[in-house]
Amino acid sequence: MSDIQFRNGQREVRDIHVPTWGERFERAKAASIDALQELYKSKTAFIGGMMLVVLVVILLLTPVLTSQNPIKANYGALLKPPSADYIMGTDRYGRDIFTRVLWGGRRLVVIAFAAVVFGLSLGIPYGVLSGYYGGLADSVAMRVVDGLLAFPGILLYLLIVTLAREWHLEGFWNDLILVFALGFAFFPEVARLARGSVLTEKQKEYVEASHAVGEANLYIALRQILPNCMSPLIVNATVRLGYVILIIAALSFLGLGTPPPTPDWGADLSAARDHMETNPLIAVFPGLAICYTVLAFNLFGDGLRDILDPRLSDR
Amino acid sequence: MLIYTINRILHMIPVLFVLTVVVFLFMQLLPGDVIDTLVGDEEAEDPATRALLMKEYGLDQPIYVQYAKWIGKVMQGDFGKSLITRRPVAFELLESIPATVYLAIVGIGISMLIAVPLGSIAAVKRNTATDYAAQVTSLIGISIPEFWFAIMCVLLFSLYLGWLPSSGYMSPFEDLGQSIKYLILPAAAVGFRQAAYTTRLTRSSMLDEMNKEYVDTARSLGFSETKVIYKYTLRNAMIPTITISGLQLANMLGGTVVLETIFAWPGIGQAIYMAIVDRDYPLIQAGILVLGIIVVVVNLLVDLLYRVLNPRVALN
Repeated sequence: MSDIQFRNGQREVRDIHVPTWGERFERAKAASIDALQELYKSKTAFIGGMMLVVLVVILLLTPVLTSQNPIKANYGALLKPPSADYIMGTDRYGRDIFTRVLWGGRRLVVIAFAAVVFGLSLGIPYGVLSGYYGGLADSVAMRVVDGLLAFPGILLYLLIVTLAREWHLEGFWNDLILVFALGFAFFPEVARLARGSVLTEKQKEYVEASHAVGEANLYIALRQILPNCMSPLIVNATVRLGYVILIIAALSFLGLGTPPPTPDWGADLSAARDHMETNPLIAVFPGLAICYTVLAFNLFGDGLRDILDPRLSDR
Repeated sequence: MLIYTINRILHMIPVLFVLTVVVFLFMQLLPGDVIDTLVGDEEAEDPATRALLMKEYGLDQPIYVQYAKWIGKVMQGDFGKSLITRRPVAFELLESIPATVYLAIVGIGISMLIAVPLGSIAAVKRNTATDYAAQVTSLIGISIPEFWFAIMCVLLFSLYLGWLPSSGYMSPFEDLGQSIKYLILPAAAVGFRQAAYTTRLTRSSMLDEMNKEYVDTARSLGFSETKVIYKYTLRNAMIPTITISGLQLANMLGGTVVLETIFAWPGIGQAIYMAIVDRDYPLIQAGILVLGIIVVVVNLLVDLLYRVLNPRVALN
């Protein structure tokens, strides 16, 4: 590749060194090692990270770890206590709880991840452009965000999920609506956060320099300012993953998330309540699974904040 | 302060507008005809009756007119009638608000009792085992789903030990002793989760305060460490803590849907949940709108309170 420059009115062509794939790989490797070392230094992030690795490995290996069917009833083994055959016991349809926890986890983590990505992809451009252009558009955009933030806790999800139920959306479409609801409720927070960082960032000199060179506004906002605003967003998204998992579990617990017989931690917990007096352990395992997963994301997010935002690390 | 207050109140208007539009759209986005939803299939089969009903409900008018009319009614407290009980929705909601407020206030009280000492000790003993223990505990507290915590409490205290009733409600004015028995488990479930947040908050605002110069001055004047910390630092650190706890009251109100349902607590959260189960749309709509408005108003009050408590903010 070559770069064309003008000097003394003369056109001069100079070669620019374009990194080869090998060099890029080396650089990426060095950067990852740096990042891992940083992670290792923060105990919280390291522990959270390890918990997440364990979680992902277990969920990926689900078909290997258990050969039972998570949905098919087995009336020969109703409500069995934990044993060698059934590590966590069986539920009221004789289904292996361990198997249901694993399959439920796969689904839950995928939905949570999709929801957070959706929220980010909606909120980041919204917040960045709003903060970058400012003025009336910004005011209007931010009032919309304020209005959406006024829905406390799970109420916005309740509205959307109720609508989905009334339209009789099932299976994949139901999951899609769940992703939409969770992502949509996350978007105002992202937008506000992104806007805040952009407001500080756009005062800086490099932005002025880019303006002087005549770069397009959209290019400056999305390719130059945005990368510098990513760290709080990444931290927020990590913590949000844990929160989204809690919300999904709460919705299913209320019977508004996934319809049975799909394995789902919240729904399984809710079903377990009917057998709590005779079989208290059924209610324990899905709950522990939720705690473990959410704690992993929270620890990792907390540690990440310490690393990415050193000002706060002493707190 | 007056100008600020007026300004803040004016800021509420667009927020309330967005809130009401979303809630209004909810009704519009329901499948089928509003008439079917509101009246039931049998009565609305005759086209003539239908047209009459359309006119009566104003459904023949453009959507923004419908919105304006609806807002007008809402401002007078007319949220329509419940499809199940046929009573005005406003009554249903008014009846359920005291129980929710009772639970929320006791819950916040419990969380403060746990969080303020824990957070300040963690800050004073920063980076020691005590601090890490407090931090880990509060992180775990945030990660435990409240409904699971609630179920585990019921399991332990009502089913296993048999000390407390597993669900139900009694007004404190009827029988205070019984009322408290019913209250303990739900309030603990609300309070512990809240305590986890508040501990982190207290800790970080204590650390902020402890790095300030007046603390050094107080120490150099020979005040005892206890006095410096508990009389001066903690007092100042409480300002942001209380403010943000106030803001979290809003989130708690949203969270009550799950807890009230578990404990059969007759508050606004359970009312909304039952309405969703029964497909009582006017009640869902009004319930969510009312909770949203409460949140907006609480946020405003907390904001104003913060300025009163901390006049320095005004200078920034």
